[in-house]
Amino acid sequence: MTTTLPARADSAPAPGRLRAGAGRARRHRTVAFFMAPAALGFLIFFGYPLVATVVYSFTKYDLINPPTFVGFDNYARMFSTEPLVRTAAYNTLWLVVVLTVCRVVFALGVASVISRLRSGVGLVRTLCYLPSLAPPAAATLAFVFLFNSEFGPVNRILKLVGIDGGLWFNSPAMSKPSLTLLALWGSGELMIIILAALLDVPPEQYEAAQLDGAGPIRRFWHVTLPSISPVLLFGVINSIIYALQFFTQAIVAGSAAAGSADVAGNSKYIGAPQNSTLTYPVWLYVQGFRYFNMGYAAAMAVLLFVVSAGFTWLLVRQLRKSQHQEEAA
Amino acid sequence: MTTLSDTAPPGARPPAPRVRTRQSWDRNLYWIATHALGLALGVIFLLPILFVLLTAVMKNDQAMSASLWPAEWHLENFLRVFDRAPLLEYFTNSLIYSGLATAGALLSAIPAAYALSKLRWPGQNLCFMLTLSAMMLPPQVTIVPLYDLWVRIGLTGTLVPLVAPYFFFDAFSIFLLRQFFLTIPRDYLEAAKIDGCTEFQAMVRVLLPMAKPGIAATAMFCFLFTWNDYFGPLLYTGENQDHWPLSLAIASFRGMHHVEWNLTMAATALTMAPVIVLFVVAQKSFVRGITFTGVKG
Amino acid sequence: MPTLTQRTGRARGSLLLCAAAAVALLATACSGAAAPAGGGGAAAAPPGRGDKLTVTVYSKFTAREYDVVTKALNKLRDKYPNIEVRHEGNQDDDKITQSIRGGNPPDVAISFYTDNLGVWCSNGSFQDLQPYIERDGIDLNQIPKAVRDYTAYQGKRCAMPMLADVFGLYYNTDMFAKAGITAPPKNTTELFEDTKKLTQFNPDGSIKVAGFIPSMPFYGNQAQYWAPNFGANYFGPDGKSHLADSPGWKAMFQFQKQLVDFYGGHDKVEQFKSGLGDEYSADQGFQSGKLAMAYDGEYRDAFVKDQVPTLKFATAPAPVLDSMSDQYGGGFTTGTIIAIPKGAKHPGAAWELIKQVTLDTGTLVEMANGLKNVPSTTASLTDPKLVADPQFKTFLDIYASGKLVANPPSPIGDAHLKAVNDFAEKWQAGAVPDLTAGLKQVDAQINDALAQKPTGG
Repeated sequence: MTTTLPARADSAPAPGRLRAGAGRARRHRTVAFFMAPAALGFLIFFGYPLVATVVYSFTKYDLINPPTFVGFDNYARMFSTEPLVRTAAYNTLWLVVVLTVCRVVFALGVASVISRLRSGVGLVRTLCYLPSLAPPAAATLAFVFLFNSEFGPVNRILKLVGIDGGLWFNSPAMSKPSLTLLALWGSGELMIIILAALLDVPPEQYEAAQLDGAGPIRRFWHVTLPSISPVLLFGVINSIIYALQFFTQAIVAGSAAAGSADVAGNSKYIGAPQNSTLTYPVWLYVQGFRYFNMGYAAAMAVLLFVVSAGFTWLLVRQLRKSQHQEEAA
Repeated sequence: MTTLSDTAPPGARPPAPRVRTRQSWDRNLYWIATHALGLALGVIFLLPILFVLLTAVMKNDQAMSASLWPAEWHLENFLRVFDRAPLLEYFTNSLIYSGLATAGALLSAIPAAYALSKLRWPGQNLCFMLTLSAMMLPPQVTIVPLYDLWVRIGLTGTLVPLVAPYFFFDAFSIFLLRQFFLTIPRDYLEAAKIDGCTEFQAMVRVLLPMAKPGIAATAMFCFLFTWNDYFGPLLYTGENQDHWPLSLAIASFRGMHHVEWNLTMAATALTMAPVIVLFVVAQKSFVRGITFTGVKG
Repeated sequence: MPTLTQRTGRARGSLLLCAAAAVALLATACSGAAAPAGGGGAAAAPPGRGDKLTVTVYSKFTAREYDVVTKALNKLRDKYPNIEVRHEGNQDDDKITQSIRGGNPPDVAISFYTDNLGVWCSNGSFQDLQPYIERDGIDLNQIPKAVRDYTAYQGKRCAMPMLADVFGLYYNTDMFAKAGITAPPKNTTELFEDTKKLTQFNPDGSIKVAGFIPSMPFYGNQAQYWAPNFGANYFGPDGKSHLADSPGWKAMFQFQKQLVDFYGGHDKVEQFKSGLGDEYSADQGFQSGKLAMAYDGEYRDAFVKDQVPTLKFATAPAPVLDSMSDQYGGGFTTGTIIAIPKGAKHPGAAWELIKQVTLDTGTLVEMANGLKNVPSTTASLTDPKLVADPQFKTFLDIYASGKLVANPPSPIGDAHLKAVNDFAEKWQAGAVPDLTAGLKQVDAQINDALAQKPTGG
């Protein structure tokens, strides 16, 4: 389906500066109208909880009695006496770095393969997206079960080839890589988005590059990537946020590793094995809702927010700079 | 390096090189390689779902045990779950929740994404950054003040607290739609405005048809996220079983010290079925690309 | 782009945030007052016989157990025919807390865990039941002391026990016979000896059948379930954590190490453990014959009989430290608790309901039979209608032994339990060179958690 620019022979010239001023006002009204629901919702459903969280972080709040002001005590505790917040922060940081890279690269790779398929495209596409359609707790359990070191199919197949698969989710060293594999398996959303963007790349650009003598790798680098860069940026940021808020899957996988898998992640056994799956949001939830230290949990949330928002702003600004440079060129 | 243009007369579009055996061999290899990879990927992705289905038809004694293939086939498990829980009612609730949330998200996010991507106005970048920031705050903390708010309004026990936010602000949808809109060249909208359209008309008549894949994708993700949302409904509708969506029902096949995995997995499969159908039906509409010829490049 | 409009845009942005701040501060200031006052003080009058009202109950029960409990709750209608009991299942502890906070609590709250009792008691979430108990002249001695202890905190009784769980030793009698063991182990030395006799290794050195695995936390091997058998205490008289001073904990961890070493190291044990079936599945290690002996609760009895009827097994009280032989016959206990939340609309009726399900022998026995748990009063233990096969009877005897031990309620939820279990994991992996120093670190961690509470540290 192609559209061509309508032929413009001549247009009535815009009457002078007066119209320009009124035009700007009208534009601002339009913007206000378009952004109004979002602005209102932002205030109520984000601004208010954010400010409340910041306020709570300076209090001791047990969720029932009114909060009592304690100044920076919670922050001091976070950096000194409380040992598990460090582990939780490390676990989440690990996931942010490793999971983001793997997820984007994997989604890009799979989308590329699908975009090249001629037959069975719909089937493969559906199959790749299927895991994302599953309720997260059940999907995680199924995945963890398949990786069971004794009777799971993965290790059984590896044994046939002579490789000792290891303990996967039951090993403190391998539990996070296993969680990454789980996340990759569930990255169907990103795959579909990237696939849509890949299919949007104008084929003439490929042909032009090919005529210029570019091989497949250079075509990919110079044609594909720039074309889908807004969507890739989305993928990177989305993956970062996904890793930062990795909650249900961590709890369910941990409880399965502890031998007491529960249906929805409301498990008493968190972080197994040896707190290697204790992610920051999980620890935050436990501190706030199991130990009733809501003030401390709020402080953790503020820290998370500051670090991640700061990092994302830098990233977006950097990418926009490079985007402008390319557009200018 | 051989290129397609080698074989054709200059200026004409080269025909498919059926004559050259070496090239057709290359292409066949390529076909085999990509399709083998596709097949392998498909199988890998399918395996855990297969596990869910197989567990669903097992006797509970065999569920989550070392024997992976059902010793007996209890297809009636799929019916048993209906006896145990009013799944049709929950299905309706899920439909209401996801349907309304998706509609709300599109209604509120499309104009916002349009404003953020197609218009130029002061404070635009700040608003975009704020939208991104909204996704950074863990939901576990936002629920505390928000739950208070909804109790004060008196609407806990219903789906309203879950659906209402989508009619105002859904950061994910705004972000995704903005990125999709960015890939659509401004020129089409400029042309429409020169023709005398307002921004609103330009958005509705020109942008929306062209952005159909992006909008369909966004709708799909919003629907899916709300369909499988567990903690939100647990908090806001938990006390009122009439308003439970399917995701809560899945968690109800358990006792204090044991879980009926076969029924849980059966309920899971039934929960997945509608969205699978939705995806299969809708996928063509947002994966088929639009080509822009004569404008870019 | 003119700077003026840019500044306007930023100003607009900051104005928005200021507005949000004002709203938030206002709301937070008001949120504390959201929950209506009401709780301590005099006992609310019971409802009249013909009164028409709805009593709301939250619990985590689902499926079949939900039906059993609903039937028990509805027994209230024998006395008060016009009262309707609305039982909402699938409500976890978070939901109970949130609803109390939000000001729309149920009239009766049931929790599966005793972990939060300390918090709920100390911050006023649960109402004081003492006035009701005194008014109605209830003799609490019909409930064992340990069970009374886990439903009260610092002298304030804010919950009643509904049904109890008791832990003991399950052992495979076929394997015992084959190994020539005639009686279940009574102390840890015997336990160790029997473990050695019952364990079978594969030709490659990996474990085939384990006599008794030490892996903690796993199945019924939680630090808190083992603690009573070793006389291990958490808190000292000053209310602070004193694990490092407690010989009980040292003995327990050293016993664990003994077992791990016997099996050939942590890796072997982990390998074996990860191949055991899930606790809530029919493939559970004891049920599948991979574990010769295991700690577990009284509920396991029903599962074994139902899922693996061919398994021949027996139960006995948990073995204790050699030096504690007079404590043999007791064990660890926990259970479901039931309480009246702050702000309940019908506290008088709620108390009548609580009395019904916690003190009425008929109701308790029916529930115990339905859920396969231990009924909490001494009268119900000996009631002829209580279904108790020989294996289940062991747990009733343990319950009646007078030697029960429960977790001490604390204001920090289960933070101390997690800290000890985390340490146990590290200890078994060999990552703790000095036991006392390691325990001191756990103490520091627990004390830090306690310091966050007004009533702690």
